[in-house]
Order: sequence, then structure tokens, then C-alpha cells
Amino acid sequence: MRGNAVEEAVTIDSASSFEADERVRQILRERAESLAQADWEEEVAETRRLMLFRLGDETYAVGVEDVREIVSGFSVTRIPCVPAHVLGVINVRGEIVSVIDLAAVLNPGAAGQGVDSEDGSGIIVRSEDVTAMLVVDEIGDIIEVPAASVEPPLSSLDRAHAETVSGTVYWEGRLVAVVNLARILQPIGERA
Amino acid sequence: MVEFDRSAFIQKFQEEATEYLQRLNEGVITLEGDPTNRELIEQMLRDAHTLKGSSRMVGLLDISDVAHRLEDIMVKIRDGEMAFEPSMSDAFFEALDAIVFLKDNAGKDVTGQLDVPALLDRLSAIAAGGAGTATSTKKPETAAAPEAPASPPEHTEQPRPEPAPEPRPAEQTAEQTVAAPHAEEKLQARTQHTVRIRTEQVDRLLNLVSEVVISQIKAEQHARDLRAAQAVASELHGLWRRVQASLSVDASGAVGALSDDLAIVDELVNEVRSRLTHMLKEYSDDVSRASTVVSDLQEHSMAIRMLPVSTVFNAFPRAVRDLARQFKKEVELVVQGGDTELDKKVLEEINDPLIHIMRNAVDHGIEPVERRRELGKPDKGTIRLAARQEGDHIVIEISDDGAGIDPAAVKAAAVRKGYITESEARSMSDREATYLIFEAGFSTSPIITEISGRGVGMDVVREFIVDKLKGSLDVESEPGVGTTFRLTIPLTLAIIRALLVRVSGQVFAVPTSSIEETLRIDPAEVIKAEGREVIRRQRRTIPLVHLRDVLGLEALEDVEHGKLPVVTIGFSGHRMGFLVDAFVGEQQIVIKTLGSHLRHVDNVAGVTILGAGEVVPILNVPDLMANARRMTGRSSGRTRVKPEKEQGPRRVLICEDSFTTRELERSIFEAAGYVVETATDGAAGLTKLREGLKVDAVVTDVQMPNMTGFELTRAIKSDELLKEIPVIIVTSLEREEEKAEGIEAGADAYITKSVFNQDTLLDTVERLIR
Repeated sequence: MRGNAVEEAVTIDSASSFEADERVRQILRERAESLAQADWEEEVAETRRLMLFRLGDETYAVGVEDVREIVSGFSVTRIPCVPAHVLGVINVRGEIVSVIDLAAVLNPGAAGQGVDSEDGSGIIVRSEDVTAMLVVDEIGDIIEVPAASVEPPLSSLDRAHAETVSGTVYWEGRLVAVVNLARILQPIGERA
Repeated sequence: MVEFDRSAFIQKFQEEATEYLQRLNEGVITLEGDPTNRELIEQMLRDAHTLKGSSRMVGLLDISDVAHRLEDIMVKIRDGEMAFEPSMSDAFFEALDAIVFLKDNAGKDVTGQLDVPALLDRLSAIAAGGAGTATSTKKPETAAAPEAPASPPEHTEQPRPEPAPEPRPAEQTAEQTVAAPHAEEKLQARTQHTVRIRTEQVDRLLNLVSEVVISQIKAEQHARDLRAAQAVASELHGLWRRVQASLSVDASGAVGALSDDLAIVDELVNEVRSRLTHMLKEYSDDVSRASTVVSDLQEHSMAIRMLPVSTVFNAFPRAVRDLARQFKKEVELVVQGGDTELDKKVLEEINDPLIHIMRNAVDHGIEPVERRRELGKPDKGTIRLAARQEGDHIVIEISDDGAGIDPAAVKAAAVRKGYITESEARSMSDREATYLIFEAGFSTSPIITEISGRGVGMDVVREFIVDKLKGSLDVESEPGVGTTFRLTIPLTLAIIRALLVRVSGQVFAVPTSSIEETLRIDPAEVIKAEGREVIRRQRRTIPLVHLRDVLGLEALEDVEHGKLPVVTIGFSGHRMGFLVDAFVGEQQIVIKTLGSHLRHVDNVAGVTILGAGEVVPILNVPDLMANARRMTGRSSGRTRVKPEKEQGPRRVLICEDSFTTRELERSIFEAAGYVVETATDGAAGLTKLREGLKVDAVVTDVQMPNMTGFELTRAIKSDELLKEIPVIIVTSLEREEEKAEGIEAGADAYITKSVFNQDTLLDTVERLIR
């Protein structure tokens, strides 16, 4: 687009006086600068901050904006008659928060290792009006990546898995899956 | 009929009006600077309109008239028929002040202090004035002059370009002393006695308060631990004294060499003891002080959500009058204990069950006038609605002086419908029989209508009270004398009493209100019958089920075998024994929801947090009972009690002249597995039946050629061979007289097409033929 503008300017240039030529150059310089500026600003606005965490051998991420707090050391109360990936609930300063076994959600085969342990790490996340805690193996750094670098989930994944992942990002030689909280935090037992 | 109590509503109106008046006052000021602010004009119009309406509702007609004039003016301004002029402000303020005055003196005679008609004239003049400052200001002046010496428009003629709210009140006070002597001061000095708060905010506060209560319980536990530690220190100290004494006797040799160390030990032991003693004293004092504050805090914050039951009861006299008219009965409602206070959340839920019980009382309890005369009862039946507090519960009784519940009729109906067997009926006491009315879908009513007898049965009411309100519903009845329903609900939904039990290594809470007994039974008492385990209690057989099986938990292997702890729960006329691993105790618990993620979980009503911070699930009794009955094969009385009668598919005869309706009904029944016979009118249907067509039910329209549905019903019900066949009338006739005709004809159910849908029709038919 900028290229076109210059071409236009050149045509004008050939047909006008030196003074006009100077003015056109000036305008073009300004325009170029302002365009460059706008581009740069746009880039800043479109980065995403992600919190990394480890689950088994893999690294996953959630959007920082969805993270409410980090919990380490908790005791889960089992609740009967809930889906297998809900380990139970915990008491966070009087608020009851359900505990989700993220490993069971992401790899339904490898579930059931029983995370009743006091030394697990949990990320309390929010999606719409649902709050829940994801149990993870280790909490990692917060990274900032250009939003455009978060790609759609790998097409090779099966559909169920693809639903639980909203995108993937390549970061420091690793492929990081961003979990789809809207899907994982769907309320359970909503009466129709 | 009880006098409609307006006073409670006047108070509500006063609170509400204060907000609108405040906003209108601000609006006038803003409008002076920005006379074309459309949004504001519309809002002021709405506010004036609301004031008009709500003041009229509570009978404050003067306010309504003044607000009406303001509304007229605002309408003209909105429609562009006139423009808001700053000169109008004073008339507005005068009107608003007058409303404040009238509102504060609601119900008192203020004619001497305030000339409302003159004010109304002035306001009408403004409204009539239309556009143009000159006319609009002149007119009110002339109108007002004879009445009020210092009429507002006079000084409004002075130019007032800026809003200048400061000087105005002073001027106005001076001028309006005649019109509204105290109103102005009141507006200035009045402090709000009430604050409206969103209930969520109160809930959040209560949530935090219950956290404080929990940490207080913990602190008390710590104080006890500290006391124990101090006791150990004292014992150590005493022991050390004795050791020291015997050491000092022969303070020589090896011991002498240690004397320095021993002196230090002595010092330390003393130090530990005195420090602990001091700490214990300080801490115990703190804890007991905090304990008083916390219990006050808890009580007061709970009180925030408490409202008198009259806020719900006040609507009932009207409702009962309407019901009485509907059922052609004469009924008086007596309300007692309206000032009993109840948690707002409970109040919100309690209206529907109460209405339903009263509906039942009017429909089935109170007899028609003629019958009452025969019995020597007063013409007018009485329903008494009384509320009172008993400890941490509220008891609400609804009693009527009607026919009462006839145990024999109830038993007969229950046997007919397959809820109980003949032998069960014989061994059942009258009191137990009365409780059969809580059986799902139970009705002794000869006819099913939408009003009572179908749809919301007493079972639903009871389930609602147990499930939602954590309460209980009992019934007592004496044939010929009357029936009393007793609703017992906890004072607040936030706190209930619960039994804590251990199952598979985990603690669960069961609301005490639905527990009948806790037993420790000998394993030898368990009788195995038809593959099920039962126990006998008071001549009744109670099925046993392991709570862990209902909850889907794994059995622990090292459960000791001795007496078996059993919790028996009575619900909807059924008793069930739940085997648990151990009883842990009974205590008050604070109910919390399962959080935002787990919206509804089978068998679990919520959780509570115990003193030690431990989260304990609270079990949902209706779910437990339903699941337990399913597991013991009692869920369906139909399959259990009368399996031999279930031969092949059920048959239904549809009499309907409309092709569309007939085919619609046919498809509904065929989809549900019925064999459907049809007839295009009543006569054809009756012929089919008389020719020996065997059906389980007849579904008929009313308006049909040759023979109407009513005539058909009468014919079926008067035929010895056919009268047992249930007749369901499906019609668009909705008037009471027609319904009454249907009842008279002997129909078993009456469904109007307006509520007619697949489920209603199928439910009704299935209920009638089982």
C-alpha cells in the first residue's frame, strides 16, 4: 500500500515543479512515519500474556487474564456423583471452588492418579461466571507472545481434544497448548 | 374477610418514594441547566408516573393527584408541546415538597397545613399553559394568588440563568412556610432510616461472617489446646521440683558438677510454665471477648435478611377469597403471628407451597355451604394461617374446619392406584394412612383439574419444602372436624442441624429434619427377602440400603463388624434405612453451595465447613430416597404391586370429532406404546365400548355431534360394566361452570387445551390407569 503511494508520488513528481516536489516528499515522509507508528502500536495491543504450566511431560498455558490466583497445598473434599474429571471441592477463604483434574480432561486415558495430595499446585481460573481450580504438576513462567503467533489447535488432534485446546503457540522450542477454559469450565448439572 | 392491611405497604411506599423524590429534585435542577435533556425528561416522566401509581395503590390519593399533574407537565415537555422553563422549577419544587410532606404524614389529616387543591390548580395551569414563558408564568400567578400569599411564580420572574441551587432553598423556605410548614426542613435534615442493599451483598457479607464464626471456633479449640499444654508444663514443673529437692539432698559428686546446668534447667522450666500461664490467660481472655462479639455479629447479620412473614401473608386473604369464589365455597382466612420473622430467602420460597396447601383446603377441606349446614357447622368455613417461632425453627400451621381426611378413603385410593397392597393397608394406622397423601401423584379427588389434584400434588409441595427449605411438612386430620398442615422450617436457610455420618472414610451431613431415627441394629435383625435386605420396626418393614452404594463409593475393607449404624429417613410416605459406617455427631452447620462450577449434583445439596476447616458434603434427601428406592426396586409401584395385571400394551379410546386433534392425540399415545382406538363422536365411542371393546382409558372431547363428552362420561359412569374406566376430558372449554359439569358427569380428569401438551395428557392417563 505504501508502495502504491510512492509510485503515485513519482508520477506527480515528473509533472510538477521543484517546490511541489518538495512538498509531496514532505507529506509522504510524514505519512510513512505515521503509518509505521500505527503498525507498531497495533503490534503492542495484540500480544497475549500466558501463564505456562507443566502437566506430565507437556507444557500448557492459560491466558493470564483468566487466572485469579495460584494455590499450593490444598486438601480436596471428594464429592460423590460428579464426572470423573472433577476431583472434588476446596475451601478458598470460605468460597467453595471445584477442583478439575486437567490431566484427565486433556488425556482421558491417563486419568485417575488421585490428586488428594497436599503438595499439588493449583491455578484458580475463571471463565464467564464459573470459577474452578485446575490441578497441574508445576507452575511455570508468565510469557508474552504476539497474539498472531497463537495458532489454531493442531489439526492432527482428535476432535474431543481439539475442543479442550483453543490454540497452540511455539515457544522456546516447545509446542505449548493454550487450554480452552470456556469448554473445560462448563457448569455441571445445569438444569435445562 | 380480613381487612387488607395497607400500613406495611405504606412503609414500603415511603421508602420507595424517597428515592424517586430525590431523583426528581435533582432532575429539576439539572433540567434548568439543560432543558432539552431528553433522557432526563423521560426518566422524570417515568418517576412521576411510578409515584402516581404506587401512591394510589396504598391509598394516598393526594400524592397521586399531585404526581399526576407533574406527569401531565412532563408528557407535554417530552412531546414538545411545551419547553421546560427554569420558571417552572419552583412549582415543581413546591409539588415535590408537598409530596414529601404528604408522604411523611401518610394517613393523617393535613388539610389545615397544606392546600392541595390550590397546588393542583397551579400545576394544571402550567400544564395548560403550553409554550411561551409569558403565558405559562402569568397563568399560575393568577391562579395561585388568592390561595397562597407568596406564590412561587412571583419570584420566578426574576431572571435566573445559572442553576444556583444554593440560594433557592432559603428563599423557598421563607415563601412556603404557609403551604408546607415542615416539609422543607424535613427534606434538608432528614436522615435515611433505611438503606437498600442488593441481596447478593448481604449474602457475601453473611458468607464472610460464617468464615469468622468458623475461625472463632478454631480459636476456641486453640485455647483448649493451649490449656492442655499449660497443664503439661505445670506437671513438668511439679515433677522437676521433686527431682530438684532430692538432688539437693546429696548435692555432691557427679551431680554437683552439673549444678550450673541444673540451675539453668530450673530456670527454663519455671520460665516455660510462667510464660505459658501468662499466654493462656491473655489468649483465653481474647478468645472469650471475641466470642461474644462474633456471636453478636452473627446474630445481627442474620437479622439483616429477616423479614416478617406478613410480607407474604398479606396477599393471602385476597387469594383465598378468589379461591373460595372459584370453588363456590364460603371461606374466611384468619392470619396469626404475621410479625414472626423469617429469612428473606425462605420467605421467597414459601409463598407457592402455602398457596397450594390453602388451595387444597378450599377445594377438598371446606365443605359446600349446604353440607356445612347439614353438619351444623357455620356457613363460612375458616382457614387459619398461623406462624410462630419454636427455638431455631418457624412453625407455620394451615388448619381448616372442613371435612378432614378420611383414612379409609385414602387407603382405598392408594390400594386402587397400586401404592400399597391390601395387606399393607390393613396393617396401616390411620395416621400413617393420612400420610399417603404425600405419595407422588396421589389424589383422592374424584376429578383431576389444573387447580388441584394433578400437576402440583402434595408430594411436590413436600419435596420442595424438604429439598429447598430443609424443613418438614406434617399433617394431622380428624374426619369431620378438619385438617392441619404443619410446616416446620429452619429460621434461616444458612444454618441447619445435621447428623454427621461416616461412609467409606468420608464424612457426610444429613439434615436432621428428615431423619426419623438413628439405630444400631444387630446384624441378625436384618431380614433377607426377595434379594433385598429389610428390617422390621414398629410393625413396618423398612428396606435397608448401604449409603455408600447410593453414593457410588467404594467399600472400605476394615469396617468393624458389630452393631450396624442405620439412619432411617421418612420422605413422601416412604421409610428407608441407610446403613453407614459410623455416626460422627450432630451439630449446627452452615450451608454453602457447591460453587459456580457444580450447579447441580445428584444426591448432594451443598457443603458445609466444619470447625477444623474440613469441607463436608450435605446430602440431598429427596435424591437419596429416589435413588435408594430405584436400587431396592421400589421406584415403581406399578411394576411391583400389580405385575400380573400388566398384559400386553395398554389401550385407549379417543373420542374426538376434529380430525387434527384426533390424529395428534393418536400419535402421542402411539409414541408412548399405547394401542389407540378412535371414535368420531360420543355415541360412536359408547357403542364401541358397549360392544365389548376393552380399553384402559377414554379420552374425550366435549363438543361433538350426536353425543357430547359430558353425556358420554355420564353414560360410562352409570354403566356397571364401564364405570371403572377412567375418563379424561380434553377440551377448550375453560369456564368454571363447564369444569363443574365435567366433575358432575364423573370425569376423572379435565384438561383444557390451553395447557394441553403431550406430557400433561400422558401423565394424567398413566396416573389414572395404574
